[in-house]
Amino acid sequence: MSQSHENYREAQVEFLLEQAKKGEKEAFMEIVARYQQKIFILAYSMTRNREDSLDLVQETFMRLFEKLNFYRAGESFEAWLLQISKNLCVDFLRKQKSRRKGNTISLEETGAELPSEKEDPARFNPGEMIQKAVLSLPEKQRLVFILHHFDGLKYEEIAERLKIASGTVKSLHFKAIQKVRAILAPQLGGGL
Amino acid sequence: MKACKEYTRDFLAYLGGQLEKTREQELAKHLEYCSACREELEKTSAVLSMASSFRHELKQVMETVDWGHLSEKITEKAWEKSKRSSQKPVRFWLNLWRSQPLAAGLIIGLILGGLLTYSLFWSEKPEQRLNRETAKLTLLSDLIDRIDLAMARRQTINYLERSQYLLLEILQTEHPASDLSLMDRERIKQLLTDKKYLNNQLDDFRLLKARAICDQIELLFLELSQLSPELTAYELERVRQMVEEKQLLLKINLVKKELEQSEV
Repeated sequence: MSQSHENYREAQVEFLLEQAKKGEKEAFMEIVARYQQKIFILAYSMTRNREDSLDLVQETFMRLFEKLNFYRAGESFEAWLLQISKNLCVDFLRKQKSRRKGNTISLEETGAELPSEKEDPARFNPGEMIQKAVLSLPEKQRLVFILHHFDGLKYEEIAERLKIASGTVKSLHFKAIQKVRAILAPQLGGGL
Repeated sequence: MKACKEYTRDFLAYLGGQLEKTREQELAKHLEYCSACREELEKTSAVLSMASSFRHELKQVMETVDWGHLSEKITEKAWEKSKRSSQKPVRFWLNLWRSQPLAAGLIIGLILGGLLTYSLFWSEKPEQRLNRETAKLTLLSDLIDRIDLAMARRQTINYLERSQYLLLEILQTEHPASDLSLMDRERIKQLLTDKKYLNNQLDDFRLLKARAICDQIELLFLELSQLSPELTAYELERVRQMVEEKQLLLKINLVKKELEQSEV
């Protein structure tokens, strides 16, 4: 995707946001339609539950609606929206975990229960394993991993949308793969 | 045994088939005799295949969602919520009014009493009356001036908004050659005519900035109206460049915002 096309896309989104701020319902609906699947991918990557993810998509846009006036033109809208959604997902996971255990724990602990193929072959599920491993990644690495592998975006596209350098995206991705590999080492067999 | 650092960095590109030919051959040769690197590569490949199996699962789940319905539902909910929150203060003041009938009666009595006293005892000297009339006339001419300016601002905002919309529509086309539809040409013509009428109002020194941007838009539309209906890729690119170089869309947004703020 060319830089100029990306600029027009952003200009369009800014125009829609302005209209939505003025109370144009259709403009807001267009924003939801454009970004709902991206938010769903992020939510599902963190919860692995369809209904919870749909609730989180809805909650994200309700929060966006309340915060419309806080958006400053020129900033990356997508990065801002993903940040809102990520915060809601983290809160959701914390609440869910504390409901189960009766106390609050850190997000990293949520990815700590990985079944090994040898220990329990019936529970060995590659999708579940990678999802929990990704959950344990630091925030930026996790976002780059999700956008690249689950949303199918190229390094350059991620860089444009998050407004960071393409080299940084590559390096974050490399580190993420290394870390996921280390987390899954017992399941993959052999040492690190 | 540890894998060799100078090769592990290229594993992702190697697995994705994005490595240069010579480097790929070099790595393949290295893998033949380095078992640690082979093991490392296998694990990286396993992680990628797990990621792709999760992506497959995600795709299947997403196919079960009715996205059109979801966006409508979310928008409706957001609007309902905003309506509810805007109604709350009204209800609060209504309740306050109901619970304080005595205070309300007292306030109305005081206002009426004050007005009556004012009308009974107020006497005015002729020079005072003259001053008052002059002040009234000045106020009136100020008011007319302000109304004219507000109208000009509104019409300019409207012109800018329509131009912005049209520019976005024309420029977002991705095909190398695109038709400038009959409707677009009509809209360009209309905008050029509107600009002619707007020129008188834009002469006001308080609208100098808006005049500059409107003139630039007019120039662009003039050029577009002289091009053939089928825009070539070169022409489209030239228009894009012109819009980008002059930062036209950004300027439109800024001027619009400024006009809207000064309107308040």
